[in-house]
Amino acid sequence: MVMALRRLCRYARPRPPLPLAAIQSPRPSPESAPPPLSGLSSLLPLSPLLRADRTLASSSLYSLFEGSYTATRNRCLTTQAWVDAPTGEVVEVPLAQTGEGIAECELLKWFVKEGEEVEEFQPLCEVQSDKATIEITSRYKGKILQILFVPGDIVKVGETLLKIIAEDAQSPLTSECHEDATSLNSDLCESDSQRSSRKGEDFKGVLSTPFVRHLAKQYGLNINDIQGTGIDGRVLKEDVLNYAASKGIQEERPSLSQVNVGEPGLLKEGKAFHMHMLDEKCYEDTTIPLRGFQRSMVKSMTMSAKVPHFHYLEEINCDALIELKAAFQNENTAPNVKHTFLPFFIKSLSMALSKYPLLNSSFNEATTEVILKGCHNIGVAMATTYGLVVPNIKKVQSLSILEITKELSRLQQMASNNKLSSEDITGGTITISNIGAIGGKFGSPLLNLPEVAIIAIGRIQKLPRFDDDEIVYPASVANVTIGADHRVVDGATVARFCNEWKLLVEKPELLLLHMR
Amino acid sequence: MILHRVRDGLPLMNLVSLRAVPILQQLHLEERLLRSSSDNWCIINDGTNRPNIVMGISGRPSELIDLKSVLRDRVPVIRRFSGGGTVIVDDGTIFVTFICNKDAIPGLQPYPHPLMSWTGQLYKDVLHGFGDFHLQENDYAIGSRKFGGNAQSITKNRWVHHTSFLWDYDIKNMEYLKIPSRAPKYRSARPHVEFLCRMTEYVPSRSTFIERTIASLGNHFSVKPIHQDRVIDPSNTLHSSSKLLTRQELEEAYSSLCEKLHIAAISV
Repeated sequence: MVMALRRLCRYARPRPPLPLAAIQSPRPSPESAPPPLSGLSSLLPLSPLLRADRTLASSSLYSLFEGSYTATRNRCLTTQAWVDAPTGEVVEVPLAQTGEGIAECELLKWFVKEGEEVEEFQPLCEVQSDKATIEITSRYKGKILQILFVPGDIVKVGETLLKIIAEDAQSPLTSECHEDATSLNSDLCESDSQRSSRKGEDFKGVLSTPFVRHLAKQYGLNINDIQGTGIDGRVLKEDVLNYAASKGIQEERPSLSQVNVGEPGLLKEGKAFHMHMLDEKCYEDTTIPLRGFQRSMVKSMTMSAKVPHFHYLEEINCDALIELKAAFQNENTAPNVKHTFLPFFIKSLSMALSKYPLLNSSFNEATTEVILKGCHNIGVAMATTYGLVVPNIKKVQSLSILEITKELSRLQQMASNNKLSSEDITGGTITISNIGAIGGKFGSPLLNLPEVAIIAIGRIQKLPRFDDDEIVYPASVANVTIGADHRVVDGATVARFCNEWKLLVEKPELLLLHMR
Repeated sequence: MILHRVRDGLPLMNLVSLRAVPILQQLHLEERLLRSSSDNWCIINDGTNRPNIVMGISGRPSELIDLKSVLRDRVPVIRRFSGGGTVIVDDGTIFVTFICNKDAIPGLQPYPHPLMSWTGQLYKDVLHGFGDFHLQENDYAIGSRKFGGNAQSITKNRWVHHTSFLWDYDIKNMEYLKIPSRAPKYRSARPHVEFLCRMTEYVPSRSTFIERTIASLGNHFSVKPIHQDRVIDPSNTLHSSSKLLTRQELEEAYSSLCEKLHIAAISV
């Protein structure tokens, strides 16, 4: 009861809010592998990827908390100059495994701030995983050096929550000693070990966290056989790994530290798969967290799939287009510009849209209105290492093919460096996907909402076709698939639009006739 | 060192039986007992006084509830202190909450999954013979239909596991809730009416269920009934983070949602 009261008093102590100006976003150290999971009493690092919008959204939530829990985002992020030189070891403390199958938690709030002294077992933050809110306590007595996540962030198990300068901190290996996730004191631990075990596990004489037990199980080891090097003989992760190695069992397992934690949208796919191919790990599953553009694709395609699509297929003869491209290249007025087919497809698409504006529109479901867009902002799907992105070329109706080529090149450059601006990727009115550049004859593209049409262009193939005199000749043919929102657009409209576009591509001289 | 009270070799558990207490008041009580008591508690609230929507701690109204109809019909929306999903509760809901010290149950580790398993086993015993009880992911189900939703809050030394059981429900009320984007796999995108079931179709009476729950608890604890007057204190909201969302907050959420849809529709 006394301890409970003491805790009450600690929570009731008012903490002054800190000035916004003091908010900084600390950088993580992604290159350093987070230390092995050390239980719930570990702290979570803040991601450097602080999202300003999240700040505003979560501050309203935390203003609901009164009195006891006074941690606010401002508090959490304030840095405080060190007056005394910090002593003790800097320990990176990760989010520990909180249960089987729980791979990540949402950080709800901090109870401490940078620069604050903390006691062992003092609550540091609260996280949420699925159904549970969980209080995380410190296993160290020391000073908070750096907080690495903010409320609202999703933290993967194993990611560093925060850094603490631990007093009497031991070496990184033995800092694992405080493995117990909920800061059981030594008396309680001993009594735990004497109690009967949970189904499938044996607590007799062996202290360790669920993660370490799970790890031992993964290696097919009996945890009771492993000599623990932690406090009170706790079995630590290193003990399991060393024991496994001594038994000649495959040493390395894909641990959570190998999960890609990087900049948004960064996918180290090539590297991860390469590593796996080199050794027996190629049989192991790899978990790839989806961030950035990939994560957006999950959301946007899920919504898109709810729209009733229909697909229209047509074949376009590209002989004239090939000749035109060759001519552009030969008479190249801009030597740095590489001419491709796509700008021509884009310009002719825009010309066709002038005649069929319904395909350059968007649908407002709430008001059941179709908005015919004034600008032809033609989006071009680009596959980058960061994921699929669709930047758009603005007002194509007012651009020449050369201007389109240059703008396309600029967007491609920005996309491959993950430097597209929000202006580049918003405001699109129709999308074109030149999937044929990679391969494929047909596609059934999904709409890029709120647009009502999308075009996929397949590979140009040389195929036998009949000419006007019914003689077989080799024709360069591309299949195009137009996907459209059937709530707004019907087959006849798409067919007529496509005929118009096809005509302009097959007879480019007609562009001259209509071009402004 | 906290001294745990024990009787007959079993840890003591205080039992508070309530009837039609407002859910917000119940949540305040639970949180207060979690944070400022060192005893083990079981709270049973047989129905709540009126329909309320209760979201988990990080619930966002625009994602979880049909704001338009909620605002129109003035349904109270509460954000509770524990994690988990959104429910709509009314007098057809039976609430059972366990608030325990982390060492109250021998060998039980205070993590979400073990707590879910332990309580699942308890209710399996309670409902033995009445239906094909399952712990389906984090829900209590008969067959593949959910009848009880769970949420937890785990603190340094204690934990709370609370459940809202669907003794009966009004399907019209379910329409205030959106189908959540984050749902258990076994739901298989089923709408509410195909995903849920009513306990009343399986168990003879509410009191049967409540009495059997108390009896089952008696296998693990020495249960001592406590009169509600000794614990219910509506004025004491010292530790209460469960909050009733104001109309203004809901209206702001609704306007912001409409704006987003509008912007998405006419993006240039």
